[in-house]
Amino acid sequence: MIENLVEITTDQLLGEVSKAKIEGYRFVTASCADNGDDTIDIIYHFDKDYKMRNYKVTVKKGEEVPSISKIIFSAILVENEMKELFGLNITGIVIDYGGHMLLSEEELGSPFLRKQITIEQRGGKKE
Amino acid sequence: MSSTVIPFGPQHPVLPEPLHIKLIMEDEKIVDAVPAIGYVHRGLEKLTETKEFTQNVFVVERVCGICSVMHAMAYCQGIEELMNIEISDRAKFLRVIWAELHRIHSHLLWLGLLADAFGFESLFMQVWRDREKVMDIMEETAGARVVISANTIGGTRRDLNKEQMDKILVVVDEIKHDLEQVEAVFLNNYTVKHRLVGRGVLSKADAIELCAVGPMARASGIPMDLRTTGYAAYGQLDFEPVTHNDGDNYARTYVRLHEVYQSIDLIKQAIAKIPEGEHVVPVKGNPPKGEVISRVEQPRGEVLYYLRSNGTKNLERLRLRTPTFQNIPSLLKMLPGSELADVPMLILTIDPCISCTER
Repeated sequence: MIENLVEITTDQLLGEVSKAKIEGYRFVTASCADNGDDTIDIIYHFDKDYKMRNYKVTVKKGEEVPSISKIIFSAILVENEMKELFGLNITGIVIDYGGHMLLSEEELGSPFLRKQITIEQRGGKKE
Repeated sequence: MSSTVIPFGPQHPVLPEPLHIKLIMEDEKIVDAVPAIGYVHRGLEKLTETKEFTQNVFVVERVCGICSVMHAMAYCQGIEELMNIEISDRAKFLRVIWAELHRIHSHLLWLGLLADAFGFESLFMQVWRDREKVMDIMEETAGARVVISANTIGGTRRDLNKEQMDKILVVVDEIKHDLEQVEAVFLNNYTVKHRLVGRGVLSKADAIELCAVGPMARASGIPMDLRTTGYAAYGQLDFEPVTHNDGDNYARTYVRLHEVYQSIDLIKQAIAKIPEGEHVVPVKGNPPKGEVISRVEQPRGEVLYYLRSNGTKNLERLRLRTPTFQNIPSLLKMLPGSELADVPMLILTIDPCISCTER
């Protein structure tokens, strides 16, 4: 029911995001949903003249996902948020809070996941 | 030159809510800024997974008091699309009336905070006195001043009778008259202009690059306003987005002030055109399995709701992105190069809502 939903792989992500930006699409945000198995859906939402284009990437928990923030700076907050709340292993975020933008130093879990994974799996440091 | 780090917030006189920004300074100039949020994160998105989809209307309203009607509106529109529910035309107009009243009180609240920040106490009180009139209307028409629970899945929880609509027309005319009396102070006063003009500039190119939304984008010359897509009854009303080209503090003030007039006009149009009929249609069953995106224009800009249903009474996922969340990167662009004394005004002019941002 989502208009213009394109399923892509993590390898295609940066290329598709660059292409969308060149075509004049505005990055709206990214949404994340735990599929209940070993995978998580990330949907990157773009808009041009009020028409949306959405890219869905399905990743395994702990799998490396490249940050799009080098192409679209405004993705920094949402990528940090997804990294912490869903334990995504997003690498190369321009401003990386190391898993502690929202969560405290003591919080080692990923509260929005149905099954918890630890901070080391989401690419942060256990201090 | 050696740099100094100055923490701004989380507690500061211009910030009603906790936002911390680490300012990297060289002398009086800011060279870099790093935001820190997370002081009031409530996990409301996660909470919605434990509530029934009908109960979530009340949860999303509590994301933010200042734009609670629009949060509920976006959520209800999403569920209605998912369940293929067509609401009545009257409900669409009622939603517009309450939404624009909310926009008025949000912008008046901001104008008052701005006046307070540049030291014009009397102006602050005059603006908030008018805001009180809107709050009184909320109470009279919906039974509460802030979180009014006007929306429900299938329409609105209440209707407006003729006397109530007549009163709204009288009050919005009073607000328009009063705002016209103080408009010159906001836009023409020498001292105020000195604090606003040419400060905190976000160029049109930067606004596009940083994906700014709402009055932030419109003040930088981007005529983007989701209301023009015609959701609810906006498609039956005549209006153009309010824009300004300078992208500075003054431009953002100009846009918000004129959007109050625009909202007054939209309310008048909506009351003139509202049809007779039911204000709510019955809703049965659960949302079918599927996902949907719903967007509306809040006082601070575009809000997006992503809803995923698994066919049960509980949603599998509710994700929302609020306008302040989207505008913080633009703030990080505007801060470097500014002087420390301009920071409070600069942060204020993005109209930050941390309650929304952290959810």
